[in-house]
Amino acid sequence: GLLLVTLLVSHMLLTKEGVTSMPICPNGSVNCQLTLEELFDRAVKLATYIHFLSSEIFNEFEERYAQGRGFIAKAVNSCHTASLTTPEDKEQAQQIHHEDLLNLILGVLRSWNDPLVHLASEVQRIKEAPETILWKAVEIEEQNKRLLEGMEKIVGRVQSGEVENEIYTPWDGLPSLQLADEDSRLFAFYNLLHCLRRDSHKIDNYLKVLKCRLIHDNNC
Amino acid sequence: MKQRFISSAQIILQLALTTVGLTGQTYPGKPKIIRCRSLEKETFSCWWKPGSDGGLPNNYTLFYSKDSEEKIYECPDYLTSGPNSCYFDKNHTNPWTTYIITVMATNEIGSNSSDPQHVDITSIVQPDAPVNLSLETNTSANMSYLWAKWSPPPLADASSNLLVYHYELRLKPEEKEEWETVSVGMQTHYEVSSRQAGVKYVVQVRCMLDLGEWSEWSSERSIQIPKERLPPEKPTIIKCRSPEKETFTCWWKPATDGGLLTNHTLLYSKEGEEKVYECPDYKTAGPNSCYFDKKHTSFWTIYNITVRATNEMGSNVSDPHYVDVTYIVQPDPPVNITLELKKSIKRKPYLVLTWSPPPLADVRSGWLTLEYELRLKPEEGEEWETIFVGQQTQCKMFSLNPGKRYIVQIHCKPDHHGLWSEWSPEMYIEIPTDFRVKDMVVWIIVGVLSSLICLIMSWIMIMKGYRMMAFILPPVPGPKIKGIDTHLLETGKSEELLSALGCHGFPPTSDCEELLIEYLEVEDSEDQQLMPSHETPSKNTKIILKETDSDSGRGSCDSPSLLPVKCRESRGLPSTLQTQDVRAKEKKGGKGSWETQCTASEQKMLPCNSESLKSCTWLAAQLPGNQAAMFAYHSTVEAFRITLNTTNVNTSPVLVGNEENRQSLYPIAETVYDDLEKMSEMEYSKTDQTTVQVRQNQQNDKSPFLNPKLMDYVEVHKVRQDEEPTLLLKHKENSGKTKKSTVPGTSKEYTKVSTVVDHHILVLLPDQRTQNTPVSQEPVAETSQNPQDSQPEKSTGYSTTAPSDSRGDTGGSDYMDPSSFMPSFK
Repeated sequence: GLLLVTLLVSHMLLTKEGVTSMPICPNGSVNCQLTLEELFDRAVKLATYIHFLSSEIFNEFEERYAQGRGFIAKAVNSCHTASLTTPEDKEQAQQIHHEDLLNLILGVLRSWNDPLVHLASEVQRIKEAPETILWKAVEIEEQNKRLLEGMEKIVGRVQSGEVENEIYTPWDGLPSLQLADEDSRLFAFYNLLHCLRRDSHKIDNYLKVLKCRLIHDNNC
Repeated sequence: MKQRFISSAQIILQLALTTVGLTGQTYPGKPKIIRCRSLEKETFSCWWKPGSDGGLPNNYTLFYSKDSEEKIYECPDYLTSGPNSCYFDKNHTNPWTTYIITVMATNEIGSNSSDPQHVDITSIVQPDAPVNLSLETNTSANMSYLWAKWSPPPLADASSNLLVYHYELRLKPEEKEEWETVSVGMQTHYEVSSRQAGVKYVVQVRCMLDLGEWSEWSSERSIQIPKERLPPEKPTIIKCRSPEKETFTCWWKPATDGGLLTNHTLLYSKEGEEKVYECPDYKTAGPNSCYFDKKHTSFWTIYNITVRATNEMGSNVSDPHYVDVTYIVQPDPPVNITLELKKSIKRKPYLVLTWSPPPLADVRSGWLTLEYELRLKPEEGEEWETIFVGQQTQCKMFSLNPGKRYIVQIHCKPDHHGLWSEWSPEMYIEIPTDFRVKDMVVWIIVGVLSSLICLIMSWIMIMKGYRMMAFILPPVPGPKIKGIDTHLLETGKSEELLSALGCHGFPPTSDCEELLIEYLEVEDSEDQQLMPSHETPSKNTKIILKETDSDSGRGSCDSPSLLPVKCRESRGLPSTLQTQDVRAKEKKGGKGSWETQCTASEQKMLPCNSESLKSCTWLAAQLPGNQAAMFAYHSTVEAFRITLNTTNVNTSPVLVGNEENRQSLYPIAETVYDDLEKMSEMEYSKTDQTTVQVRQNQQNDKSPFLNPKLMDYVEVHKVRQDEEPTLLLKHKENSGKTKKSTVPGTSKEYTKVSTVVDHHILVLLPDQRTQNTPVSQEPVAETSQNPQDSQPEKSTGYSTTAPSDSRGDTGGSDYMDPSSFMPSFK
């Protein structure tokens, strides 16, 4: 059932993507481009989808490999994106300037580019990794790139001044995903998936806040 | 010796008394010595149970003897130990002697003695239970002690206090069944160590002399061992919850406190910070809880929470609880739920549910997104129907059972993580029943009316009797085949024979086309004047005629009254409208304008002319997709079209009168030139006709409209001096100049004028013979060979064609089968 929902959602999104390539221009418009609202709509949908996948993959992994190992206690304070100071509650999220928040989102997305590529390949080596985990890893990587593209478009539209330098935090966790010791290696995966779930939720949440703020004037 | 004596004496006594017993009053029953007991080895008592008293007052006497003496003594003291007992005091008790005791019951009639009891004092010793048990607890150095004290059993004789008892003590927690027994020794106190704190214990003691039996257990005493002075046990964190994704609260279960005052402290550290904080607010969320306000709540951060329980003896810490507030959001139930019953256009009621998010949840900022789920069931139902509605705050419910009361509840959940809220309070809604009742009433009325009609009908049937039967079921004429060419039959060339019988091939040959025109009157006058010639035009006809009468050409779609009809027609028969317009044009100008118009409109596939373009465009938009298919048909029957183009079909008034259904076809058939549907209709019309009028616009030079072959049979008469001359086709039987001409019977001359309709048309009748070309192929074969068909046969032909006509009229061109109209073109 869940898989079905997943497929349905992905199908929906893919269809949506298909539409992106040939936007319907209103008659007489010179700039045939999507409105900011449409851009946000799509970004939110995509972010929601990515987070959905991240949650699923994390849950599946935890259920299968992390039972009773106390990973959660070790996973504290070890996300590579932790150095990016992001809003931690509603007030902060509402107070931060929207351009800054957008740049933060970009930063987080960029920071995940690299680890997601490695995740998608390294996850294949996990012993008896189920197909559901494998395809989700690949799907998340692809969708993350799409979202990054979309966000760059939004930032380009919203940004008043110069675009900031590309902020992102590097990831050096690849060796840990290749550790010989199974317990350590599984923990490295656990931690990465845990952080992925967190960051994807952040992005989804920030985008929803931004959409309500910029498009609906805080009245969603 | 002595025993023997006694027993023999008893036997004698019994024998003697048995005789006396016959009077009803007997000697007493045998008493029984129950027990003898010594409390302290120095005195003892014996008790007996009396036998039956024999109906008379009895005296009991206890005798005893000592094994060392022959002498028999009587009980020294009947009183001290109660009724039916004997107490032997110290003076009468010798521990070294065995006593032989007998009890004798005596009344007026006689006496009876118990069995003798041998008593050894040492073996019957059993003291009373100890008394004055008291319990104390003592706690020292984290150990709990239980201190029990008691007194030895009291004795009647104070001098015997020097006796030494052994004691035993047993105890158990109050709620348990099993006793724990402790041998105490000779002291009258005991200390039970390491008892469980906080448990209530029950204690009993008993005692025993150095010989004999244990006494009964003393009466119970119980005592609560006080809770010990221990550090508290581990508290447990039960759960943490955030109701609105802004603050959160954690609850814990306090540790067992050992009777001492215990303080609980919640400590937490946040991911990324070394520092350990204490709970900011213990009060807001009630006892044993900690409330984290907005300032203290961070998201995407793991809180490591512990609860420490402390008392004066020490402290204990719960297991750590790791919480990311993002995942523990559980909102309150939705509020402001309204249920509203609305009626759809079809008057079916449906339910509109609306609700608001819980007041705490700030969904406007986008920080929290809620999803809703509702459930409902009939009040008496068992199973809920659950419907997930996503982020909407309203929902419409259709197909609810009328007359039932429904219970509705809603709950909500954050979009990704978190838990469903509680269900909202139950809401009730009753779906009214009256809609169904109304329906029922309608159906009942319909039923009553129809049964009435049936009654009347059957009554009429009975009244009219036979005539009615004849009317409904006319006699079926036998088939007659005349005019088959015997020569052809003999030669056995089936193909030729078949072609003689009719045209079976497809596409039809020119012969078939010729067959189409049986009686032709070619005329170029105003069409509408053809119409009044029919004496009994149907309603449909009238409408269309009026339209065509008005020379505006508006007869198509503009007229609101006609719109439905037109639209229906236009779906199936786009060309009908077209030709009507055309005709109007023709009448107006009389010039060859309609040809271009027709082609133009045909290409457009819009059955309209310019004047009605607007409405027709609308119509065209509604044309179903089968139009293309329809036109495909057109192309296949190009040949027919040519023929038909030139024909206007009219039915002779006489025949028309029989079949009203047919009449509606006239205007259509008259004008159709490219529609299959109409062709089929026309074919029927024509086959039934005795007269066929062919209208020809002479000023139209288009050759397809005049089949050259047709012209062969046409005699043109100038009937009027109008600019539009009327052509009268005096033509012979269709087969007259074809191969079928070999059939002698078919060659006919049609010179008889049946009617002169108005002043434009001559209706020709063949000489008392009509061409009857029924639908199906075989009848065609028959009739084409047999023109002298009788009238009844013709009428059968009508009835068979009529249904097809009506079908064609209403059903559009969807189901046209070319083969079905084939034969009629012969």
